[in-house]
Amino acid sequence: MSEIETFYDVMRRQGITRRSFMKYCSLTAAALGLGPAYVPKIAEAMETKPRTPVIWIHGLECTCCSESFIRSAHPLAKDVVLSMISLDYDDTLMAAAGHQAEAALMDTIEKYKGNYILAVEGNPPLNEDGMYCIVGGKPFVEQLKMAAENAKAIISWGACASYGCVQAASPNPTRATPVHKVILDKPIIKVPGCPPIAEVMTGVITYMLTFDRMPELDRQGRPQMFYSQRIHDKCYRRPHFDAGQFVEHWDDENARKGYCLYKMGCKGPTTYNACSTIMWNDGTSFPIKSGHGCIGCSEEGFWDQGGFYNRLTSINQFGIEENADKVGMVAAGVVAGGVAVHAAVSALKRAQKKSQDKVED
Amino acid sequence: MSGSTLLVGPFNRVEGDLEVKLTLEDGRVAAAHVNAPLFRGFEQMLLGKDPRDALTITPRICGICSISQSAAAARALAAAQGLTPTPQGDAMAALIHAVENAADHLTHFHLFFMPDFTRPAYAGRAWHERAVARFTPMQGSAQRAAVEARAELMHILGLMAGKWPHTLALQPGGVTRAPTARDRVRIMATLSAFRRYLETTVFDGPLEAFVALTDADALLGWEAGDAGLFLQIARDTGLDGLGVGSGRYLSFGAYPMGDGHAFRQGVWDGGPSPLDLAGMTEDLSHSWMLGPSAHPSQGVTRPDEDMRASAYSWCKAPRLGGLTFETGALARQVVDGHPLARDLARQGGVLARVAARLLELARTQILMEDLAAAIDPSATFMLQDETPDDGMGVGLVEAARGALGHWLRIERGRIASYQIVAPTTWNFSPRDTSGQPGPLEAALVGAEVRDGEDTPVTVQHIVRSFDPCMVCTVH
Repeated sequence: MSEIETFYDVMRRQGITRRSFMKYCSLTAAALGLGPAYVPKIAEAMETKPRTPVIWIHGLECTCCSESFIRSAHPLAKDVVLSMISLDYDDTLMAAAGHQAEAALMDTIEKYKGNYILAVEGNPPLNEDGMYCIVGGKPFVEQLKMAAENAKAIISWGACASYGCVQAASPNPTRATPVHKVILDKPIIKVPGCPPIAEVMTGVITYMLTFDRMPELDRQGRPQMFYSQRIHDKCYRRPHFDAGQFVEHWDDENARKGYCLYKMGCKGPTTYNACSTIMWNDGTSFPIKSGHGCIGCSEEGFWDQGGFYNRLTSINQFGIEENADKVGMVAAGVVAGGVAVHAAVSALKRAQKKSQDKVED
Repeated sequence: MSGSTLLVGPFNRVEGDLEVKLTLEDGRVAAAHVNAPLFRGFEQMLLGKDPRDALTITPRICGICSISQSAAAARALAAAQGLTPTPQGDAMAALIHAVENAADHLTHFHLFFMPDFTRPAYAGRAWHERAVARFTPMQGSAQRAAVEARAELMHILGLMAGKWPHTLALQPGGVTRAPTARDRVRIMATLSAFRRYLETTVFDGPLEAFVALTDADALLGWEAGDAGLFLQIARDTGLDGLGVGSGRYLSFGAYPMGDGHAFRQGVWDGGPSPLDLAGMTEDLSHSWMLGPSAHPSQGVTRPDEDMRASAYSWCKAPRLGGLTFETGALARQVVDGHPLARDLARQGGVLARVAARLLELARTQILMEDLAAAIDPSATFMLQDETPDDGMGVGLVEAARGALGHWLRIERGRIASYQIVAPTTWNFSPRDTSGQPGPLEAALVGAEVRDGEDTPVTVQHIVRSFDPCMVCTVH
């Protein structure tokens, strides 16, 4: 491995100053929730360790994960993304095409056998021997298995690779299957979301490259540093939820006032992700801030819960809080019949179970 | 090499998967067969779902044109509800959509199209070193600047749409967020930064001057910025005569507002005519799809699991009056009547398509500034109506890559039929019953393939000049 450069070498070659490099290290430590004591550790790791090669492949997907990734908002993101991580193979961004590209993939696998991280965007469809997603004349599932065989670890980017996502929606015409159900013998880290937040993606990959290990995962295999809190826990509209002030209609006065979107089907109370803290598009906003409820896109099965505008009717993990309908009625004096409840019971049970699982952790 | 075949694929730097089978004769392409090898079955998944769920599901067809899919779904639902969005709701939806389209044009030019000119095959050309410095994948200085400028432009999407890709803010009655006076200032500041980037880097001159160009000769005289570099390359490599299309263009009209569109709706076949989709069909003769050829309002999606030998793509073949139509920025600008685009349409090749995208990028920036300046924070941005138990609706919009339509039928409160025809479905369609090749297939005929080239550069340029989005093509 001695012929492989260190991260720092790569960054220097790209003309990044020492000062910017140190700034990057401290920002990374902060983003990962690590204290200032970790800054020199990160710096040392990046100066001395050979950079970890990354192979990024695409199956059945929509490329939204790549789109999110290349917009990463880290102050040095363009350097992180375009040079430091040095994607050795990426079929959306690389120059080579056709057979050259396949050869490049084989070369990269051979060269870094056992040492590279395989990043998978999308998933393999298994129906009809995988013919619904053909890459280079072969089903994607074969490319996936081949690339996984010599990988050190696998990152499942997004809801597709982690859970199946909308393309696995009933009746799942192509039998789109998440990566961990096809690759059984490798450590897999799930980074769900549709897409995941750019900073979460760079944070996860930086952690793995720097410390040469997986971050701590929750029971679903998601990195705890980004997926341990509900959207609801840090939602800036939470005071309105607690006060029983809800948007009832897209065009009502409450919508304009920025009241809670729970009654418009918001899944924030059952969704574990960092949207309400890290936010999107360089920290400008997140869906709730734009006036639309959360759809829970980082949760398994979010696409088949019986309607995105159906309301979670009972959320009883909140201790001192009442069921939101009751709070609403008391505070706003709403008559019970005035609110239509469209609950999908099965969806609700699933959602509740998830929350309870979490509490027991 | 007469009579040989060459399979080109997988293509990188296109959204999704693509394979092109070329039949070669005497060093030129004699016939091309385009295969979209990825199928997911969105139209099947939508059946039986709450119609409003289309707003969440259809954008996930594509991570690059997701707002276009949102906009089409919102329009189809609005039509089914008989709802007309408020003027300011329309205008904000237009702004949100325009940001995505402008970002897509920027991405296409910098990340997908230009890097082919850095290939060693072009070493020694006067412009090659500059192309390498500017457009080498993941390193070129222009690429980096574009990625950065694009991320900053998308702050507007963060602000107004909550997140990108896959926003939820576009609804049948308008947009979920009413912009405040402060938002308006932020949007205008973001737009002026983007203009500065365009005017110092991409065009290196005033946008208004580029928009004022009226013919191809004047265009080729533009030497400044990366646009100038592209035009120098185009002159040197003869991109004007490469990949010439049928000259038939189709636009559903971009940014519907009130009774009209910011960029007009219509078809062009040597002259303008109004859009009439009554004669539209999706032909399935060469697609791995079962069922009769039909208008999208009557269409079905049933994949042929046997992948019969007489077909070769998952893509259906949309035709209007039995003819192929090309769609995209060039088509939009031709239909809208811009003199430069109409002049470029006479060539109709790679140069015309890429130059029209640059023209539209400049025009879209001006449009976005006008929309932002007209934001009225006191207006109503959203109306709400009930989804009917039974009804039909069509949503026609223009994605960056061209005409996108959603045809929706609701029965007993659930989706009974949902058919999507995407821009690249038109452009990269396979042959139809009469054997007529799709627009890309036809444009590839005659392209030069030099001995020993297994990814011919001419083919790369032609394919990319359409800015394909394969995941939208077959969904």
